[in-house]
Amino acid sequence: MGEVRIGVYICHCGTNIAGVVDVEEVRRYVEGLPGVVLAKTYPYMCSDPGQNLIKEDIEGGLVDRVVVAACSPRLHEPTFRRVLKEAGLNPYLLEMANIREQCSWVHMGEPRKATEKAKDIVRMAVAKARLLSPLQPMEVPARREVLVIGGGIAGITAALDLANAGFSVYLVERAPSIGGHMAQLDKTFPTMDCSQCILTPRMVDVARHPNVQLFTNSEVVGVEGFAGNFKVRVLRKPYYVNLDRCTGCGLCVDFCPIEVPSEFDVGMAPRKAIYIPFPQAIPHVAVIDPEHCLYFMKEKCMVCEEVCQELAAGAVDFSQQPEEVELDVGAIIVATGYDLYDPMQDEEYGYGRYEDVITALQMERLLSASGPTRGEVVRPSDKEKPGKVAYIQCVGSRSLRPGHASYCSRVCCMYAIKQALQLKEKYPDIDVCIFYIDLRTFGRGYEEFYWRAQEHGVRFIRGKVAEVWRSRDGRLVVRAEDTLTGRVLEEEFDMVVLSAGLRPAEGTKELATLLKVPLGPDGFFLEAHPKLRPVDTVVEGIFVCGTATGPKDIVDTVAQAKAAASSAMSLLSQGRIVIEPLVATVNEGRCRGCGRCEEVCEFGAVSVEPAEDGRLVAKVNEALCTGCGACSVRCPTGAIGVRNFRPEQIRAQVAVASR
Amino acid sequence: MPGGASMTDLMTMAKPDEALRRKISSRLARWPDFCLQCGRCTSGCTAFRLLELKPHEIVGSARMGFVEELVSSRAIWDCALCLKCAERCPQEVSPAELILVLRNEAVSRGLEVPEGLRNILMSLMEVGLAFGPRKAMDRSGRTYGRDELGLPEVRTGLSEGALMALMELLGGA
Repeated sequence: MGEVRIGVYICHCGTNIAGVVDVEEVRRYVEGLPGVVLAKTYPYMCSDPGQNLIKEDIEGGLVDRVVVAACSPRLHEPTFRRVLKEAGLNPYLLEMANIREQCSWVHMGEPRKATEKAKDIVRMAVAKARLLSPLQPMEVPARREVLVIGGGIAGITAALDLANAGFSVYLVERAPSIGGHMAQLDKTFPTMDCSQCILTPRMVDVARHPNVQLFTNSEVVGVEGFAGNFKVRVLRKPYYVNLDRCTGCGLCVDFCPIEVPSEFDVGMAPRKAIYIPFPQAIPHVAVIDPEHCLYFMKEKCMVCEEVCQELAAGAVDFSQQPEEVELDVGAIIVATGYDLYDPMQDEEYGYGRYEDVITALQMERLLSASGPTRGEVVRPSDKEKPGKVAYIQCVGSRSLRPGHASYCSRVCCMYAIKQALQLKEKYPDIDVCIFYIDLRTFGRGYEEFYWRAQEHGVRFIRGKVAEVWRSRDGRLVVRAEDTLTGRVLEEEFDMVVLSAGLRPAEGTKELATLLKVPLGPDGFFLEAHPKLRPVDTVVEGIFVCGTATGPKDIVDTVAQAKAAASSAMSLLSQGRIVIEPLVATVNEGRCRGCGRCEEVCEFGAVSVEPAEDGRLVAKVNEALCTGCGACSVRCPTGAIGVRNFRPEQIRAQVAVASR
Repeated sequence: MPGGASMTDLMTMAKPDEALRRKISSRLARWPDFCLQCGRCTSGCTAFRLLELKPHEIVGSARMGFVEELVSSRAIWDCALCLKCAERCPQEVSPAELILVLRNEAVSRGLEVPEGLRNILMSLMEVGLAFGPRKAMDRSGRTYGRDELGLPEVRTGLSEGALMALMELLGGA
């Protein structure tokens, strides 16, 4: 070990480091440390000339260990490992000394002390560098199947891109049909494309694609394994209808005596206990809702089975049971979407108390040509056409009140403007007034869309509505301040539409636990980096797209879905995945098989198993291990440790640090 | 854009006047639908200190149909018509033009016009100029008539046609 030749390369990082730390003093200091044969400084070590400095010294045989004193290893450790590799040195013979984030940046006012601290940090790195071992990255085979969770526009898009590239896709959707929220929308802003018309062909494409297998009415209930080799358990809930036999004729629906509010129509119309979710549903089959079906509640009725048997395909099957299937996949794409905020708690708006106060998604169903009113907008209370409609923006969003979301839901300004325009186009005499806090029309063509609404006479009043109540003659009175002219206004309307915000989809927390992917404080899935890795998660092999990471419009959702698909492809296309060798290893001679490491491992990477001689010893699944080191700390005999973070290496650092 | 007769300003109990809003809007080259209420007109207004209502608020109120209170407001007379607001508006709205139309409405109703402006009006009708010819003054305070400076007489007086046009504009004819 005494023969090592360490080169220390100290980066100025412009003035980021050199503006605080006296880098020349640090250089002179480290030159005298044991094992150091040379020390150099350079303005930007990560630049091409900086990298060449290191390369030339390695290639010239001057150094065989490298310490780079610069920024966080999270930033440039991969860069400098590559430099070592290119110069013919094992890339793991590199040690980063972080004298920027952990020194110059946090001690800007104290250059003297910062310089002393930089010396300490570099001294520790040198001490460890002397003990580094060369390591080889490992490769494991990767499966070419991908699981996509969520069958909305995000999941459908990702699945299609993957399937077209030749990957096998399992598309899992919790509801009885794919389509998601986009299937409920009438038109899309700002182009006014018919939502159904652009969505349903893609639904059909994905369902018919030879590389896609649909699991509708199904949920992910278990996830194990690692990038390239996940094992996923999917629970297929029964339709109580034989999918192969059912023709979707709807006869059973006609005969079913039970009516409950339709989820698809957001309660604006009823559905039966056996129902086809919507006309373009895929699969286009009937499904029984066991929570309302008389047979499941009271063992009565069964009229659907009877009519189907006698007049149709004989598809109804009350004996169906839930079924669990296990899928092997190389990557997982989370596209679980959102749920609409429930404005019931905002009593001042009267939702749930006044029939004519509805959410914008309910209005969407009224506007829809295939909706319960065939596109005629009528007040729920008396089925009359409304003369005046008010929109209240930011319902449940941009608010710190309990139960509300602090974030902007991003789509409500645009959908309110879109619906207002649709109302104006359908009924030129209608008066539509949008009460807003700010109008956020940020996308391409969005501001122009807002102008169009103004041209059509949609009124905009800047002020959040304080309350809504019903006047004696049944009209809804809205009170708000027009904050731009300072007037407190009261005005009567026939309908009030609440622009409710977006929330993480129900079950997000449970799925996050299964996947071990963290959620942000807003409850949406957290991406690995908001700018540079927007569809990655911190778990390798698991990607996320669409509104699963927060409110997004269709434009952004589709872009993310395509990004997630391509990220999964680049991970799996080689058929193998490279795994960092910085994982735990066991010295079997020292291991007593006590199992504390197994207990403490959060990733299920360690298990105690009998060795060849029958003794119990810990084994590490290197693909699962993240190198966190929890086992190493817990081990009473020092038998388990992470490569290049072994106890003796850490002790060497501690020794020189406390000198 | 219907203001909605059912709207009430709870501070004044005023209701929007749809007919008046239409009348005013018909006289404007561009009705301020597109006003974003950004406040650029107000922040640059020459007469800002004089205004009890700010230009963007005048636009906002007129747009909602609260026109009556503007017509009878003193504020509309304080505008210097410098047209900076019209020049600078990102949405090509002209508060100055709106104010001019509101003034015309006030005059046509025989509402009181501030004295300074009344003098201008009288001067217009009498000599055809907003301000009659005045003597020039040098730095020492000595004054000179046009004849002393070798300048021709200013032609004064309005033709019959011009007077009629003026009266019609004022709505008094």
